[in-house]
Amino acid sequence: MFGKKRQKQKPDDAVIQQLMQIVGDSEVLYLKEDLIAYECDGYTLSKGMPKAVIFVKSTKQVSDVVKYLNTVGIPYIARGAGTGLSGGATPLGGEVIISLVRMKRMLHLDLKNRKAVVEPGYINLKLTQSISDKGYYYAPDPSSQYACTIGGNVNENSGGAHCLKYGVTTNHILGLEFVLPSGDVIELGEEGIPDRPGYDLLGLLTGSEGTLGIVTKITVKILKNPEGKKTVLAYYDDIGDASQAVSDIIAAGIIPAALEMMDSIAIEGVESAAYPVGHPRDIAAFLLIEVDGIDAGIEDQIDEILTVCKNNNVREIKVAKDEEERGLWWANRKMGFGAMGAISPDYLVQDGVIPRTRLPEVLAKISEISKKYELRIANIFHAGDGNLHPLILFDASIPGESERASKAGSECLKVCADVGGSITGEHGVGIEKSAEMRFIFTDEEMTAQTNIRAVFNPEDLLNPGKLFPQPGRCVEIKREITKVVVS
Amino acid sequence: MIYSDIEGVLPAEQIKHNAKCHSLGNDGNQIMEAYSEEDISKVLSFAYQQSKTVNIISGGTKRGYGGELEQADILLSLGNYKGIVEHSVGDLTLTVKPGTTLREITEELAKHGQQVAIDTPWPELATIGGIIAANDSGPKRLLYGSARDLVIGTRIVYSDGRIIRTGGKVVKNVAGYDMNKLFIGSMGTLGVVSEITLKLRPLPSFEGLSLLQFPQGGQQAIREFSMQILDSMMEPVSLEILNPSFAEKMTGNRDYTLAIAFEDRKKAVQEQEKWVKNHVPIDAKHCVMHEEQARRWWEKFRHFGPNGHNDEEYNDSNTQAALKIGSNNFDVLIILEVSERLSKEHQVTTEAHGGVGHGISRVFIEGLPENIVSYIKALRSEVERRHGYVVCTHLPFKLRKLVCVWGEIPPYFALLEGIKHTNDPNRILNRQRFVGGI
Ligand SMILES: Cc1cc2nc3c(=O)[nH]c(=O)nc-3n(C[C@H](O)[C@H](O)[C@H](O)COP(=O)(O)OP(=O)(O)OC[C@H]3O[C@@H](n4cnc5c(N)ncnc54)[C@H](O)[C@@H]3O)c2cc1C
Repeated sequence: MFGKKRQKQKPDDAVIQQLMQIVGDSEVLYLKEDLIAYECDGYTLSKGMPKAVIFVKSTKQVSDVVKYLNTVGIPYIARGAGTGLSGGATPLGGEVIISLVRMKRMLHLDLKNRKAVVEPGYINLKLTQSISDKGYYYAPDPSSQYACTIGGNVNENSGGAHCLKYGVTTNHILGLEFVLPSGDVIELGEEGIPDRPGYDLLGLLTGSEGTLGIVTKITVKILKNPEGKKTVLAYYDDIGDASQAVSDIIAAGIIPAALEMMDSIAIEGVESAAYPVGHPRDIAAFLLIEVDGIDAGIEDQIDEILTVCKNNNVREIKVAKDEEERGLWWANRKMGFGAMGAISPDYLVQDGVIPRTRLPEVLAKISEISKKYELRIANIFHAGDGNLHPLILFDASIPGESERASKAGSECLKVCADVGGSITGEHGVGIEKSAEMRFIFTDEEMTAQTNIRAVFNPEDLLNPGKLFPQPGRCVEIKREITKVVVS
Repeated sequence: MIYSDIEGVLPAEQIKHNAKCHSLGNDGNQIMEAYSEEDISKVLSFAYQQSKTVNIISGGTKRGYGGELEQADILLSLGNYKGIVEHSVGDLTLTVKPGTTLREITEELAKHGQQVAIDTPWPELATIGGIIAANDSGPKRLLYGSARDLVIGTRIVYSDGRIIRTGGKVVKNVAGYDMNKLFIGSMGTLGVVSEITLKLRPLPSFEGLSLLQFPQGGQQAIREFSMQILDSMMEPVSLEILNPSFAEKMTGNRDYTLAIAFEDRKKAVQEQEKWVKNHVPIDAKHCVMHEEQARRWWEKFRHFGPNGHNDEEYNDSNTQAALKIGSNNFDVLIILEVSERLSKEHQVTTEAHGGVGHGISRVFIEGLPENIVSYIKALRSEVERRHGYVVCTHLPFKLRKLVCVWGEIPPYFALLEGIKHTNDPNRILNRQRFVGGI
């Protein structure tokens, strides 16, 4: 599976040999053809060749590897499933990738205290699947949940469609074990008990994009399934009306579990992909709204939502009649990014956040950007919390288009920053948005952050060159973008 | 700006010499009143340049919470730096100055049918800055979370006077490190919080409170009932157990009492109350309150325990203390029992409550100083045996020398020191206020 046959012959590289000593011969990839798959993560506009990829099986191995790499001064990157969308797990060139996918066990389940302990390579969806028969689930549900790891989720502080009501990953992490770049193993939030005295390192590590430590064990909060759930689909002829409906739902004091929006280009994509629902092709947008909680309270909220949607000129509105229909609507929505492949050779996902009341004006600006760069932009949003995913469609085989796509993406983020928002709501900064950090932070503010990084990662050997604009290097990366061929 | 002496830093009327030292410590020689972020920045720049120590105070309710420095050079007061900066009703966000009391915030938001979901004690005295810096929380964190789930952005004045923003004003944001988290619960040792942006919630359309009172020896029934409700699909906002002495003050009955709040649409609250009614263990008494009555009950609940104002005069015979205990959720009941048993052994009186769904308990203690000290030590060893922790959230200054406020130093203390060093290299801010004397 990992090219064992081809690798029978021992490599002469001393570093590779030493890594083999620590993790076992078969757990190290070092031949170019085996490394190609690790040149990038889900963000394909930037690529770099790692020196090797190793598969660790225990915290001790991680610690030993890190200690060794420190002595030889070779940088390293932790990697989960590699579904990240900002280049967090992408090498700049020459790093050793420490893959956590073999550390994929659930170590402990404590339903009474509502927590589970998993290894970092444990797949997000598996957690919910393994406790659903007992009526429990794990709330953060990124659309990539069938593939992404909880270790990756922690490091990106991933969200999902249902985080409007339930919060993102950071709100569900009770404890972490991680290996510092020094090789020391640290345990935070022992037994998942909250508020332990000391600075909130748990909160700091979550979302640190693999730059502060390598997470080797995670204690997560699990929730009881809601008693009831109802899902509404509302079709709009005007995207402004749909945006207004979003604001009005929130203003009515309703916190839906999910409140998603897709525009016409995005709909064109999902309708051409694996789970078509039969959405009318001539609508401007739809809203997918889910309310959950105590059964007795849901009907009233659905009635209010129907009223709000109608008051905002909805064309058609329907409530899912059964679990099957609801499942289809969600499958269709969760295909969103992948579906772009059906209507465009390449696409770039952006991840801006805006105060939700500014939605109409921001959409208008994104549409101008689309015209300016002559690229189609589809929009999929977690509308309830103002998290936009403009998907910039392009064709990398046409000279200059990749560069134009990247510029258009950056401009979308500028628009978000200018209305008081953020450049990323859940996908992280990684390589992709490091220059755009300047849209929202001053140099002094970024220095305050890199100073914190230095406490954990003083030599900057762990995932170097990510998150913050680097003089020189950053320019190189941007230049590199124009060269690469995108999948 | 370089200041050679304190008089030039702020207008004279904002500087007061402080002759007397508060019995709870955390005081300062010169009281410097900030009316703006600029004032805060000026005071810190001055202190940084002149190597002066600075204690920070707002409402003063937490004056007895940590701190081995009785008197710093400067007591920076934020109590008058208050007000709402921006309430974006449609975005459910609020930006506020640190000296604003929780009550002031609650009243303003209520006009728009919104709330910040924090139910900490003494809301008319405690300021939002202090609540965040001390990471205070109440029983309703069970459903609504705690400060770390609600703060989305801050402005921080660093020890040298620099102003640094963390997070932002949007509810979802992963740009850079989540620096907000560092300042929540850091007891003002990393910077002065000069502005806070919070995520809001709509006020619930209906509130209910079910009280279950269990006769002596009914602990097993509480345990079973709590397990049952947590394993059900009900969505209680609190599952707070009151020990008998605390329950007596709240309800008149000296019984272990479980306070179960529901906040939702009226029909949903009623449904859940019906569930409780159908599951009430035999022997337990059951009563239900709604709306104003329920709100009044919680209001009373929030006015127990010592704070920096009701314990101004240190008095040997009835010294007061308060503890925050963290444990596994289902150890809460055991901890309440142990705290009661030990109170007899150590001749102190205690009142206690704890959340069986979130694992945080509070114990209020009264008695002779030496008994309080031996009581805390004994309770701590019991709690630590169960992998929990005990923090003294209120203790007279003298006793803070005798019993470690924060408990054991964590094995990763070097990281905490490293963070302190990057933010406050001269250790001028709330020196020795936090874990391990940070
Ligand atoms: C089709 C698609 C849909 C998606 N939908 C969503 C969505 O709805 N919401 C959302 O938030 N994201 C989404 N994503 C992005 C991505 O899936 C998430 O960021 C996910 O959390 C990444 O997990 P991973 O295991 O693939 O991590 P990787 O991509 O392998 O790594 C992500 C980052 O974490 C670091 N890392 C990984 N494991 C560790 C560890 N154990 N210790 C330290 N650092 C580590 C890496 O170095 C890297 O910086 C989507 C991606 C795709 C491809």
